[in-house]
Amino acid sequence: MEVSWETSVTDSINTIYLLFSAYLVFVMQLGFAMLCAGSVRAKNAMNIMLTNVVDAVVGSISYYLFGFAFAFGDSNPFIGTYYFALKDIPSSSYDYSYFLYQWAFAIAVAGITSGSIAERTQFSAYLIFSFFLTGFVYPIVAHWMWSSSGWLSPSATSPFLGSGAIDFAGSGVVHLVGGVAGLWGSLIEGPRVGRFDAFGKAVPMRGHNATLVVLGTFLLWFGWFGFNPGSFDKILVSYPTTSDQGNWTGVGRTAVTTTLAGSTAGIVTLFGRRLLVGHWDALDVCNGVIGGFVAITSGCSVVEPWAAIVCGFVAAWVLIGLNIVALRLQFDDPLEATQLHGGCGAWGLIFTGLFAKEDFVVQAYDSGASGVSRPYGLLMGGGWGLIASQVVEVVVIVGWVSATMGPLFYALYKLKILRISMDEEMAGMDISSHGGYAYTGHSDENHPRFYADYMQIRGQ
Amino acid sequence: MASATSPLTCSASDLAPLLGATANATAAAAFLCSRFTAISDRFVDTSYAVDNTYLLFSAYLVFAMQLGFAMLCAGSVRAKNTMNIMLTNVLDAAAGGISYYLFGYAFAFGSPSNGFIGKHFFGLKEFPSPLADYSFFLYQWAFAIAAAGITSGSIAERTQFVAYLIYSSFLTGFVYPIVSHWFWSGDGWASPARTSGPLLFSSGAIDFAGSGVVHMVGGIAGLWGALIEGPRIGRFDRSGRSVALRGHSASLVVLGSFLLWFGWYGFNPGSFLTILKAYGTGGDYYGQWSAVGRTAVTTTLAGCTAALTTLFSKRLLVGHWTVTDVCNGLLGGFAAITSGCSVVEPWAAMVCGFVAAWVLIGCNKLAERFKYDDPLEAAQLHGGCGAWGLLFTGLFARGGYVDEVYGGHGRPHGLFMGGGGRLLAAQIVQILVIAGWVTATMGPLFYWLHKMKLLRISGEDEMHGMDLTRHGGFAYAYTDEDDQSLRAGVMMRKVEPASASPIGQPQFSPSAV
Repeated sequence: MEVSWETSVTDSINTIYLLFSAYLVFVMQLGFAMLCAGSVRAKNAMNIMLTNVVDAVVGSISYYLFGFAFAFGDSNPFIGTYYFALKDIPSSSYDYSYFLYQWAFAIAVAGITSGSIAERTQFSAYLIFSFFLTGFVYPIVAHWMWSSSGWLSPSATSPFLGSGAIDFAGSGVVHLVGGVAGLWGSLIEGPRVGRFDAFGKAVPMRGHNATLVVLGTFLLWFGWFGFNPGSFDKILVSYPTTSDQGNWTGVGRTAVTTTLAGSTAGIVTLFGRRLLVGHWDALDVCNGVIGGFVAITSGCSVVEPWAAIVCGFVAAWVLIGLNIVALRLQFDDPLEATQLHGGCGAWGLIFTGLFAKEDFVVQAYDSGASGVSRPYGLLMGGGWGLIASQVVEVVVIVGWVSATMGPLFYALYKLKILRISMDEEMAGMDISSHGGYAYTGHSDENHPRFYADYMQIRGQ
Repeated sequence: MASATSPLTCSASDLAPLLGATANATAAAAFLCSRFTAISDRFVDTSYAVDNTYLLFSAYLVFAMQLGFAMLCAGSVRAKNTMNIMLTNVLDAAAGGISYYLFGYAFAFGSPSNGFIGKHFFGLKEFPSPLADYSFFLYQWAFAIAAAGITSGSIAERTQFVAYLIYSSFLTGFVYPIVSHWFWSGDGWASPARTSGPLLFSSGAIDFAGSGVVHMVGGIAGLWGALIEGPRIGRFDRSGRSVALRGHSASLVVLGSFLLWFGWYGFNPGSFLTILKAYGTGGDYYGQWSAVGRTAVTTTLAGCTAALTTLFSKRLLVGHWTVTDVCNGLLGGFAAITSGCSVVEPWAAMVCGFVAAWVLIGCNKLAERFKYDDPLEAAQLHGGCGAWGLLFTGLFARGGYVDEVYGGHGRPHGLFMGGGGRLLAAQIVQILVIAGWVTATMGPLFYWLHKMKLLRISGEDEMHGMDLTRHGGFAYAYTDEDDQSLRAGVMMRKVEPASASPIGQPQFSPSAV
């Protein structure tokens, strides 16, 4: 049967939109690599950047072979059972562009966890946990939330509590999963040597390059324009109750809510930290901005722009608060990944349960069909169905990831392949495990550094 | 949704007589009309999807320019001020997002209103409207935050952070939106697309993507800030000679320049806002999509010509090949072509770039003569090349392109292209009013900040570097010895770097960013 012109046009446009969104999400790998590199000490830069590259390449293989199948083989509510190695793709439901887009998300998750266990984890442990997280733990959660057969998905035929949990682009599925995995890795490993002194006071361990942190943050911001709006999947869907609106409107609105949440969180963090530590801290602002994005990721498409400002405002305080708690409990996370992705991710899910607007929920999950009603935000008058589902999502994600990644990290620890030795940690992982430093300093003082000196030496 | 002139409209009373006076004629007519209407609706939906995708991705590219400018700024200042300048760039985007959402967009595009200022859509109330969707807001936000970033370059390395927050919000939330209203809104008194009143000189001023609206505004604001503050300590020695205060990383300057170039492909071609539009001129392969492509080409050529011209002229003037000057030349070419990118031929873009390079070199010489210190050459580049770009458009705009882009027939166009002098006159008016408005608003603001002692940092702060004194520590710590927080012993509750000057200034090798 020949493809109709109309279908060709629609599919082409939607594919362009989804593919370019996928490329943007991929740019977030670069952004996260820079953020990580800048946030660790120079002697560990090669290590952390290699873990970021490995996330992408190892995750690609595991996600292709079975991760995507577990996530989107729409058969039973718990786990997918077909599309292994992309068999039968393209199908009427999914094309390659969809796989690539989901792949870009999957490789992001392991990156988050790598931040929590940075500067002290053996590389072989890293390979093992990354493969397992991207290939199994994460896809199962994605299946529950994003597959049309998933038990907690708003797209299921009879959704949980009549609602399903709304996690549009993954505050829970991506960020909370990565954060909780990181929590267990970091707890079981223990803090970096020298992080807490003999009296239990925290010793700040500064990253080696703030420029890379800012560069990474901006690249993540740029990539988030693919992460959130792209999760509509299709842009050419018109809303039947309007004359000129469709997913293109929702997509634009999502880009706006994303921007506002990150901006607000950044500004609040700026002033909050100025009060708490007495100076204007660029690195804290960067983390605050990212925290705002993480939080809005759940409800970006279903809330008004003003609500996104509220989201960002609270996310900043959640992050600041969790960081204080972490210090008090002597929990060391070099990238604050657990506090940021875990904490702000969980807040984002709750936020959606409070502020989702019914019209937007129907647009996102029923293509704006008329006469459809769905549970929506509690504070918007939408009842308890949605917020209860959101809470359930937080609980099951924490439970599932703890039940899988906790024992894995513990097994690696028991086998003595989790943490590096103290000697290696003091020397730095680059020199001990990766063949040498990332940076070479000039030691000879006689070489001229400026043109004027050079001309002087030449006698002119 | 189809217009009256569309061949897809159909009314039952039109069609029924053609089918004869049978009982089914009405039903047949209604049936056919409903099918045509449905097809027409699908076309409309398709063009919305296509156009919004185009505009959104262009907006993302313009946002990437924030990143490019952050890297350019970081590389151009001394290492001891890196955290400060990057924080200002992050905050441009964040604070600009809030102020532009709350009222900036409303002042700029809140139609219907008057020629001077908009008055609808505060906090995006009653939005989207039939005129604009969220993609347009996001695109305009990305432009607004660019303008504030430009100014930060002029006052880098010596400005208090509080002053920074104040001027940035004011510029993005008020000064800039007013200017964009005049030249880009359907109500604006000088807009070439004005629908609610007469066109200025029957032409309107053509500033397609903002040589004036964005670059001149940012540059003139920076000029006043830098003038009122005065030069950095050590920039001009006692005998009045200038001392180069070199930036700390050429790699970052180049990275930033390339990212700005990349983003400019959203900045210039994206200003068409839509791509799915046929012009009805030329063959059926020619439409707005062609003009979009042509704009990307003119942008590229202007930048490249300016960069090459700068390369060779600086080789003549100072005796060697300087990558940082070439990068600035490149950006000057882009700033200049931004005004006329859509309405000139590619060969003309090369002329634009060639002259822009000399304008930048000339403005830099003037700055030195008048002891004006601008760490990023922002006033010279964005102000000077921006102004040249406006004049350039008044000279080289091609009539056919002006008609296509702005609608109409036989509109005034470039003087050298046989279009008369009215467009050039409008361009000159634009230069004057922008210089005047920005001076009248930002000049007094900077002066007031200066009088309140909120503008410039103390001499001591400046010598130690603001990262150390105001931002919690240096940006770079390449060895553990650099990280002062690792000192042995009992740590105090708040850890601030203890030394007065950077200990063991790191040696930066080419492999370090």
